[in-house]
Amino acid sequence: MSTGEKTSMLAALWCENRPIVVLAALFIVFPFVLPYTALANEIMLFALAAVAFDLCLGYSGVMMFCQASFFGVAVYATALTLLHLTSNIFAAIAVGVISASAIAVVVGFMATQRSGSYSVLLTLAFAEMIYFIAFQWSSLTGGDNGLTGIKRPNLEIFGFPSISLQSSLSYYFFSLIFFIFAFYLIRRITLSPFGKVLMAIRENEQRAQAIGYNTRLYKVAVFVIGGAFMGLAGALYCMYICFAHIHYVHFEISGNIVMMVLTGGMGTLFGPVVGAFIIVLASDLASALWDRWMIVMGILYILFVLFARGGIWGFYEKLLRTWKTQKRKSPLSKEAAASS
Amino acid sequence: MIDLIIAQVFNGLVLGMIYVLLAMGLSIVWGMMDIINFAHGLFFALGAYLAFTVAAWSGSFFVCLLVVPLATAAIGMLLEVSLLRRLYGQNILYQILMTYGIAIAGRELIVLLYGPVGKSFDQPDLLTGVISIAGIFFPIYRVFVFAVTILLTMGMWFVIEKTRWGSIIRAGTENLKMVSCLGINISGVLTLTFGVAMAIAGLSGVLAAPMRGIEPFMGDLILGICFATVVIGGMGSFTGAVAGGLIVGLSQSLITLVMPSASVIIIFIVMAAILLIRPRGLMGIRD
Repeated sequence: MSTGEKTSMLAALWCENRPIVVLAALFIVFPFVLPYTALANEIMLFALAAVAFDLCLGYSGVMMFCQASFFGVAVYATALTLLHLTSNIFAAIAVGVISASAIAVVVGFMATQRSGSYSVLLTLAFAEMIYFIAFQWSSLTGGDNGLTGIKRPNLEIFGFPSISLQSSLSYYFFSLIFFIFAFYLIRRITLSPFGKVLMAIRENEQRAQAIGYNTRLYKVAVFVIGGAFMGLAGALYCMYICFAHIHYVHFEISGNIVMMVLTGGMGTLFGPVVGAFIIVLASDLASALWDRWMIVMGILYILFVLFARGGIWGFYEKLLRTWKTQKRKSPLSKEAAASS
Repeated sequence: MIDLIIAQVFNGLVLGMIYVLLAMGLSIVWGMMDIINFAHGLFFALGAYLAFTVAAWSGSFFVCLLVVPLATAAIGMLLEVSLLRRLYGQNILYQILMTYGIAIAGRELIVLLYGPVGKSFDQPDLLTGVISIAGIFFPIYRVFVFAVTILLTMGMWFVIEKTRWGSIIRAGTENLKMVSCLGINISGVLTLTFGVAMAIAGLSGVLAAPMRGIEPFMGDLILGICFATVVIGGMGSFTGAVAGGLIVGLSQSLITLVMPSASVIIIFIVMAAILLIRPRGLMGIRD
């Protein structure tokens, strides 16, 4: 292979992944810009969950309202693994992701039996079920008190000296690696042939069926992939906060994740990251100022649905498109003016 | 033991009838407007808290029974006209977010006005005491609630099955656009329907308050149970709401005899079992 080919390949790789590099650069800067590192970590992990849900909603048109179940079950599973089984960080994450995917298989299978609002209601009912199980099975989950005493493990790879993750900054960069890798995977999924089938289902499920795709299988697969990545967010979140509580399986988390995707703009992958940034920052600010800050969040929800349905990223892309077309038009119009 | 079971069956029926009223409203709103109304639980709580205020102010529980449903209906209709109406035909997630926003803002407003701690709600003097039938004691208040809810459910059945407005509701559940093509003023009907659903939700809040006390988060719990009830009964079906509500109430009160800690989980176990056998719910009519 000549050096020219190599550089052109590198250039292609750079072109393809430039947005991800920019995203990574942004997240590397975040903890130093934001008031405290924990906030950056919270933004990143919710961004991961939101991006995963965007794969479901924005790319496949799969609606659900049980994001908190995937997220929260992973939080519990990781917490229980760390408390009772092992202190290996990768094993704990794996258990979290696998248990969230297992829940996603069941919920996805049930929910895709029906369509439209009925399917959404089914996911809701399952989310409530998981919430109440977590609430009442207090010998396992600690009920309303939650699980405490979780120790964040250190990073131990066989053959290497162990790396401490006890400071919030080192843990932030540890989870950043996962975040960027997960984002890259999700983006690849949307660009793959599999992703094109998902978009076909979103646009017209009956036609996708007519071409010969088993659309239900694809939808269950989307549930599982989305659930696994939300589970990854939950597992990392558990070790970030060292606490598991029924709050994390509560509907509020689902509502927030949906809000992040819709505020940012669905079907854009980068929008939900912006949405997570805004929602987490807004609730952090509001909760510091006022005990009853949830009123503000409720009103924000209402105002958003009334006035900003397209999402921020959608607005940005529209702006970009009009700007580009204007730039393309302007020399033409000058020529046209000159020739006439 | 038999006495205990009969008493629990009665308790289950009373509880179940409250669920029936709520599930009916949820199901009608869902069928007509295609909105999963997260604010339904809020109106239940709102009914209870308004009753608390009205009872303190007027000194009579029976005034509450009249005034509170009217108030919640008015608030509901105001919400429909100002907010919900703009979302018909939109993505269902927007409607969920909107009604959820209303629900949390309303709940926090209740906390702000009445405090986060629950309050006890006295039974009306006229209805305290018990009736003894064949050696089994039934609290008079529960008998009263049972009678009122039965009457209300029968009234709703009559309205839905026998009146013009009811036939519009049934037709609207099938196909709202077609109804509007037939020259019926849909927006007025929708506002009224939402108001009636909220009136019933408020009334069930009033009825439930003396049995369980009031606290700001009462709406959240009941909303989850109502979703399960509607799923069990099947969407858009009146008989489904009745059957679902009674099944939920009975299974909940009977399980407390054996295993009190499972009293909420049992609902979802029943729901999962019914969905496995019959994915559209007991009486569900459509997707």
